[in-house]
Amino acid sequence: MSDIITLQNVSVHFPVRGFLPFLKKGEIQAVSDVSLRIGRGEIFGIVGESGCGKTTLANTMVGFVKPTAGKVLFEGVDLSSLPRQEFKKVRRRMQMIFQDPFSSLNPRFNVYQIVSEPMLIRGEDDEESMKARVVELLEMVGLSSGDLYRYPSDFSGGQRQRIGIARAISLNPSFLVCDEPVSALDVSIHAQILNLLLELQEKLNLTYVFISHNLADVKKLCDRLAVMYLGKVMEAGNSDKIFAKPLHPYTQALMAAVLNIDFSGKREIAVLPGDTPSPIDPPPGCRFWQRCPKAMRGCKDVPPEYVEVEEDHVVACHLVNGFPKTELPDGYDQPLVRSEKTVKVRR
Amino acid sequence: MEQVLKLRNLKVVFPTDYGLIRAVEGIDLDIYDRECVALVGESGSGKSVTSQAVMRLLGSPPSLVRVDVLEFDGRDLTRCTEKEMQEIRGKEMAMIFQDAMTSLNPVMTVGRQIDEVYIRHEGDSKQAAREKTVKALELIGIPEPGERANAFPHQLSGGMRQRVLLAMAFACMPKLIIADEPTTALDVTIQAQVLKTLRGMQKGCGTSLLLVTHDLSVVASIADRVYVMYAGKIVEKAPVEDLFIKPHHPYTVGLMAAVPTLTDEKKKFTQIPGTVPSPVNKPSGCYFHPRCEYATERCRREMPSLVPVGQGREVRCFHPLSVEGGKSSE
Amino acid sequence: MKAKRTLGQRFWQGITKRVSGAGALLAKVWAHKQGKVGLIMVSFLVLVAIFAPSIAPYDPYDVSQRAAKGLPPSREHLLGTTINTGQDIFSMLIYGTRVSLIVGVTSGVCIAFVGSILGVAAGYLGGAVDTLLMRLVDIMLVIPTLPLVIVLTNVLGRDFWIIILIFVALGWTGLARTIRSLVLVLKNSNYVKAAELAGASRWHIMTRHILPGTSHLLIMSTALSSAGIMVAEAGLSFLGLGDPTAISWGKMLAEAQSGGALLFGAWWWILAPGLGIFLAVFGFMRLGLVLEEIANPRMKRTSSVYKLFKSLDSSYVEEVFRSMDDYQKIGAAEVASGGGQHYGTGLEA
Repeated sequence: MSDIITLQNVSVHFPVRGFLPFLKKGEIQAVSDVSLRIGRGEIFGIVGESGCGKTTLANTMVGFVKPTAGKVLFEGVDLSSLPRQEFKKVRRRMQMIFQDPFSSLNPRFNVYQIVSEPMLIRGEDDEESMKARVVELLEMVGLSSGDLYRYPSDFSGGQRQRIGIARAISLNPSFLVCDEPVSALDVSIHAQILNLLLELQEKLNLTYVFISHNLADVKKLCDRLAVMYLGKVMEAGNSDKIFAKPLHPYTQALMAAVLNIDFSGKREIAVLPGDTPSPIDPPPGCRFWQRCPKAMRGCKDVPPEYVEVEEDHVVACHLVNGFPKTELPDGYDQPLVRSEKTVKVRR
Repeated sequence: MEQVLKLRNLKVVFPTDYGLIRAVEGIDLDIYDRECVALVGESGSGKSVTSQAVMRLLGSPPSLVRVDVLEFDGRDLTRCTEKEMQEIRGKEMAMIFQDAMTSLNPVMTVGRQIDEVYIRHEGDSKQAAREKTVKALELIGIPEPGERANAFPHQLSGGMRQRVLLAMAFACMPKLIIADEPTTALDVTIQAQVLKTLRGMQKGCGTSLLLVTHDLSVVASIADRVYVMYAGKIVEKAPVEDLFIKPHHPYTVGLMAAVPTLTDEKKKFTQIPGTVPSPVNKPSGCYFHPRCEYATERCRREMPSLVPVGQGREVRCFHPLSVEGGKSSE
Repeated sequence: MKAKRTLGQRFWQGITKRVSGAGALLAKVWAHKQGKVGLIMVSFLVLVAIFAPSIAPYDPYDVSQRAAKGLPPSREHLLGTTINTGQDIFSMLIYGTRVSLIVGVTSGVCIAFVGSILGVAAGYLGGAVDTLLMRLVDIMLVIPTLPLVIVLTNVLGRDFWIIILIFVALGWTGLARTIRSLVLVLKNSNYVKAAELAGASRWHIMTRHILPGTSHLLIMSTALSSAGIMVAEAGLSFLGLGDPTAISWGKMLAEAQSGGALLFGAWWWILAPGLGIFLAVFGFMRLGLVLEEIANPRMKRTSSVYKLFKSLDSSYVEEVFRSMDDYQKIGAAEVASGGGQHYGTGLEA
């Protein structure tokens, strides 16, 4: 299986400007040093909480955000090296499905105008064939030709999301980024949209990047995944392997945080203490040390390295991989005793 | 057991240029002492409107409200003046909203805002109020409560802000707290923290809690009893364990199947077909029939009543399901 | 067979779309009571301005058509004549409409044009263009307007068009800033992102998504700034800074004051231009506010909700309420209250 997207040590940093325009206050490290590969035809999940950089990473993949360092290869080609026209042509094969079905459709356009817009941009201008294609697309996503001239405000959230999907597949893309495609929808609609995505994947041979904060959805949907925290990948690889043996404490915590609805066991809410720290100027060591229940003294200062613990299962954690043999603070492998004060709140 | 809230036959409509929005269509709600009752439903189910009606926060206009009985702690709220209601709200009945950022005043320190509750409802001096505030913040699990009290809302994280709201709601040890989607805007790990705190506080303070949410997994973790709403009507009412072990209404079954868990089968999502009905134009008969796989001619024609089926359970369905997935012979 | 549309066809399609869009907007304004008032007033003024020579009994610019000075209102002179020159005040009022409307509307349209172009440029292009334009706006906003206008009119002359030019030069800043912030929102909207992914050019995004997205703001601001400029023009003329050759309402007021209208009790001389200014500004303001309400339904005043409530048929509402009842209401309620005990025991377990 060839890779459709390869990320090589990608970092995206945004400067934070202070009161004076020329003084840099700090840097938001939205994404730092991420290396991933996404194989053709697979569903790749990116999981993490708000501020972990998952959306920035997706925007980097499709070229909305330029990486500060590192390379994004689409089918082996570095998109940023292409001339503008060529870049546009290649990028047409990547599309996006957005989280909010309300702001992702122009309220002034009717369904036909929305779905046909990408074709119009590509330079088609034969009304008849475009209309036929739009109807075909609408039927593919579960709408009908009767909806052609209605406006987004006439539709429910789920139906709007279908329109968004029809628009995304109108140019026959090979790579689709789904940015939390169901989290803004009613619960009873989730399954419809996810099933539609699965169906389309099979029919059109698509590759998905599926961004979510819900580990359960990712587990059900994805072949491979990456767990992100504060801009870094904590654990990545084959979904089955990770869920069978989650090694990183953060992955474990996320799994525990999925609330259960079956009453076979005890009703208990597992709690990971602390708050997500600010991504501005993060600590040099492991990004998760402040909240990690198993943190050791060295975790604060020594950044963990990525180690492939088994085939297609990478973890960045000292607990699993051991500390590198470099200069280490005393008692680095002793458990960290934390006072309440070390948990800094976002200011 | 003492009854904290008794609501009978609540009906709310919103007149608009496009016709009447039938938001709530005759709801009965009972909340007993120290109990956590969940009101579950999707958008347009009328769950939030119901919770606002209980606090008498619905203005007219824009809404038209009819209610047979609205009793809180033995008092008839329908006869209370607005001034008396203001006295009750915050002191005996408090509310927690989804979006902490907009429910807190951005230019006042969070401490001041909690102080206000004590000063207003308990007639405390500023100093006494602040002492209580710090204690409340500590109780709710905020580290360094003395310092945090002097922070402005934007200086706190989302989870912290939600905790401040909790502290504010529990300030006067009210009889009833209404929490409208209290954790929806939070991250998963923070959601678990806040839920645990909420549950602990509710049990510890002996408050009753009305939890309004769309998320069944939240319900499963903290509720005692559940009302499931669909398109303005209650379709099922049951103690939480019974509901999750043996759901009767096809809609409840569908909702439960829609909650993803880590033990589910891969690449397969059980779906409820169709869309949530528009509150202006609801289907005939049972509101759920266009989406229901068990619907019969009768369901299309007439609306089933909410009937008791034993063990404190009620269901609004002609063909209630008895065992998981199985269908009863009525 | 592929039928390619010619450029001409596209052009006509574009035009018909715009016209039908404008028609729909007018219909919406007309459906609104206040909008109807505004629309009628504005179209009345426009008609008066166009047909001024046929409506006005005399030509106030024509020296030979002057009558006795200071005549009170009569059949020959509906609003009397001026004390200093003996011009027919009714005719002056009619002709004054032309100046007020042309100055107001032309400046309003030009401000919308300049403001939208600069606002879109700043918002969409960003970077240095944005910084430069917004600093310019900052500077313009702190310059005291009136002294600047006095200086400018003294330097550039008081020609009609120069006055319009000054209004536009000073008036675009606020609109540009509003448009810019709207463009920033639209630019980051997901549908623009989707278009970019499909390879849309900047031109496509600006013309298809961003400019149409600001159109309601432009139409509204044109109406409101026209009203504002009419007042400003009257003020300028009153101060003697207007075009000395044109008859405008402001100048009529100024002449009334210097000519001693108050002294001689010639109330009609003051009332007429005042009424003209009031009507024009009121009409345009109405129109602008209604357009604002149409563009942003959340602005809807509570009064309209009250009206909706008054118009409700109470028997229909009762019917709706009754339809919500369950068949077995009474039976169910009894069981529910009787079954309270069950919940109690279920809870403690």
